[in-house]
Amino acid sequence: MKTGRTDLHALGMQAWRGRLALYGAYALIGVIIILLPPFVSADLKSMITKVLIYGIFALSLNLLFGYTGLFSLGHAAFFGVGSYTAAILMMKYGIGNFWLLIAAGLLAATICAAFFGFIVLRVSGIYFLLVSLAIGQLLYSVAIKWRTMTGGINGIAGITYPDIGIPWFTLTSTSFYYLVFIFFVICLFLLYRVVKSPFGHALQGIRGDERRMQCLGYNTWLYKYIAFVVGGLFAGIAGVLAIYQSGVVGPTSLGVLTSTVVMLMVIIGSDRVFLGPVLGAALVVLLGHYSSIYIAERWPMILGGIFVLSVMFLRGGVSIHLVRLWKKVQYRYGST
Amino acid sequence: MEALRIDRLSKNFGGLRVLRDLSLTVEAGEYVAIIGPNGAGKTTLLNVITGELSANTGRLYLFGKDITAMPTHQRVHAGLGRSFQITRLFYDVTALDNISLALQASRPSRYQMFRRAASYSEVFAEAEGLLKAIDLWDKKDELAAGISYGEQRKMEIILALASKPKLLLMDEPTSGLAPAEIDGFIRMVKTLAAGTTLVFAAHDMDVVFDLAHRVIVLYYGQIIAEGTPEQIQGNRKVKEIYLGVEKDAPNAGVS
Amino acid sequence: MEIAVNLLNGISYGMILFIMASGLSLIFGVMGILNLAHGALYVIGAYIGLALATQGIDFFLAALTAGVVIGLLGLVLERALLGRLYKQVNEQVLLTLGLVYIFSNVILWIWGPVTQMGRAPSILQGGVNIGDSSYPLYRLVIILIGLAIFVGLWFFQEKTRIGAIMRAGMDDKQMTIGLGINYGLFYSFIFFLGCLLAGLAGFLGTPVIGIAPWLSFDILLLALIVIVVGGVGYVQGTLVGAILIGVIDSFGRVYFPDFALFTIYLAMIIILLYRPTGLLGRAQ
Repeated sequence: MKTGRTDLHALGMQAWRGRLALYGAYALIGVIIILLPPFVSADLKSMITKVLIYGIFALSLNLLFGYTGLFSLGHAAFFGVGSYTAAILMMKYGIGNFWLLIAAGLLAATICAAFFGFIVLRVSGIYFLLVSLAIGQLLYSVAIKWRTMTGGINGIAGITYPDIGIPWFTLTSTSFYYLVFIFFVICLFLLYRVVKSPFGHALQGIRGDERRMQCLGYNTWLYKYIAFVVGGLFAGIAGVLAIYQSGVVGPTSLGVLTSTVVMLMVIIGSDRVFLGPVLGAALVVLLGHYSSIYIAERWPMILGGIFVLSVMFLRGGVSIHLVRLWKKVQYRYGST
Repeated sequence: MEALRIDRLSKNFGGLRVLRDLSLTVEAGEYVAIIGPNGAGKTTLLNVITGELSANTGRLYLFGKDITAMPTHQRVHAGLGRSFQITRLFYDVTALDNISLALQASRPSRYQMFRRAASYSEVFAEAEGLLKAIDLWDKKDELAAGISYGEQRKMEIILALASKPKLLLMDEPTSGLAPAEIDGFIRMVKTLAAGTTLVFAAHDMDVVFDLAHRVIVLYYGQIIAEGTPEQIQGNRKVKEIYLGVEKDAPNAGVS
Repeated sequence: MEIAVNLLNGISYGMILFIMASGLSLIFGVMGILNLAHGALYVIGAYIGLALATQGIDFFLAALTAGVVIGLLGLVLERALLGRLYKQVNEQVLLTLGLVYIFSNVILWIWGPVTQMGRAPSILQGGVNIGDSSYPLYRLVIILIGLAIFVGLWFFQEKTRIGAIMRAGMDDKQMTIGLGINYGLFYSFIFFLGCLLAGLAGFLGTPVIGIAPWLSFDILLLALIVIVVGGVGYVQGTLVGAILIGVIDSFGRVYFPDFALFTIYLAMIIILLYRPTGLLGRAQ
């Protein structure tokens, strides 16, 4: 039997008290993130920024994977397209306005997803996986070879903060942190609305039983296509933000390595809880960063190990267990 | 008015001819049973009518419209509905969510991406009506995986009826039900599907007698007999097939 | 003559790909699992073989041993990890993904970030005269070895009962009923064989393409391209795909180096679109 999405509703948390407590917890985390910058090192600030960016990226992949059941190992293609578009426009063509850059990156990623969506959705199952992989690698090879535009295998470096459009204001790492946080909250909100909408419910139906959905009257291809494009759109947003967090962009942003890392985040955090991918991003980024201080070269092995354990035992990832724990606490301390 | 017309339908799987030059018509409002031994092609026929399988030759007409080239979901919007022999529900969501999903399929709001699905009160009201009609309202918040098999079978039919089909295809609707449950189930089908044309594959002759106006007998992908249930019961050819099949080892496999 | 040399280079390189990809195709065709760790297993096999060869062990014995060791490694993985995720295809693929990370890093840890080039065994170090130049004997022998493995696999596919079942694409239940064989054991054997082929190819490939710790994903991608282009389910498809990719790569390096990779991925996408089962694959 397939265990499905963990909807708080289905877990019996209709009690307003339970929900209030949960939203309270989220609000608290939000407040902590907002208040954090003055108290922490630049390093940690940068890492949290990275977590938020990859959180958006992972959430976008989960729209495809956790909600629609599309196992894609090529999602980084759209992330990378967003990154490269913004980087090239900024460093090669001197466009410095952030809003233009993010619009361009978003648009480029969406157009790519719209185009490749036609191709990749002609097949399903493992073949879908292979085509998605091939698309990512195709773009990767383009990025390497088109040296004049993309900087070849070395990519583009030295990317500084863009101009936010306010005359007397230049972005700093702290203000960029807040900018990313705002984007994160907006993307979170939009994606949440999508998954809670009739469209989102249909996606989950397709994941559960596509054939049945067709026999109910749903044009399942169209749903998968739209989900693919929307996923690509949000990946593109993350891609644009990422170049300012790291200052560089390279061909690996498009290829299998990035696609697998984001999939790792989704799985470790849980693809069955809405915020799971964000937790996964936090775990992977923060653990990765701090382990690099102590055991730098062994991080991929540890990451792989955590991932294998997640797949084997934490079916549904870390979040599912947190949710179950929360439910137990609820029952223990009573709530109607 | 013809609800369904099938013209010289053939379906092959590689070298295996499962349906051979098959033609039949179903009048609107008729209840037609399709019977035949295992392997006769009953489920394949249903799959071709819904479009899950494509025909090799032949044409299909639904209420006069040529649906031969139409994808499944469009046939549903043209008035087709289908229930499955092996129950296919969305097991990880509640009974209410199952019905809501089915109801949403015929509404333009199914593409809505920003409004919360839970806020569509008309859908909720209609779902309530359907669940109450099958006595499952008190289990509305139970996961579909958690209700009894008989209740799941009822849900299976309700899901198919949600789009208010003009022609409902049912594959072994009472499959797996205990004898005691079957009568009530058939009564439910008669009530809920009143006015709908029914085409159903069946094994249980009691169900056929109870529900069918006409019976079509399928054997190796061809129609070998047609008539009222009484006529079919007395038909020698049909008896030979069933008795003959029982004498030899039954064909393992799907119909 | 240059064309002949490039062609032979392409075919010999393709043979290495064939040996490796046939393992992946076998596992995928029979068990439905896409073993993403296949490239990593290739790499480990190469290093184990090299370690044995530098200790003075006979080349072909080292090759066989490397193959068997990797086969056993695969067997352990299948029994301990993959077998527990029975029928959960997505989870199995994800698991193999995690294994790539682990294996790549372990390889890096043990053998360091250095590219290594293997050496052909002394009896095969000479060349054969083609026209007025000398072509490496080892590469020709690789072609023969590849063909021998092909014949063996083809025989298994066409002439044995197990092969017949694999070709018919029946699922495990029917297999069990039909043959009375323990399908758990059967799966393990297939996985063992598939991984053995990866490890064997790894070491055999060292005199031709060398080895480095970070090649796990690259090798995997090549294997995927081969089975996509050639098709899953029939070993002759894998051979055709591998030779084709080998030749394209070989000529590509010489005549259109900037586009070779791009062309290969493009070809993969086009084939997946119009003939998803590959040039000679089994229709799913």
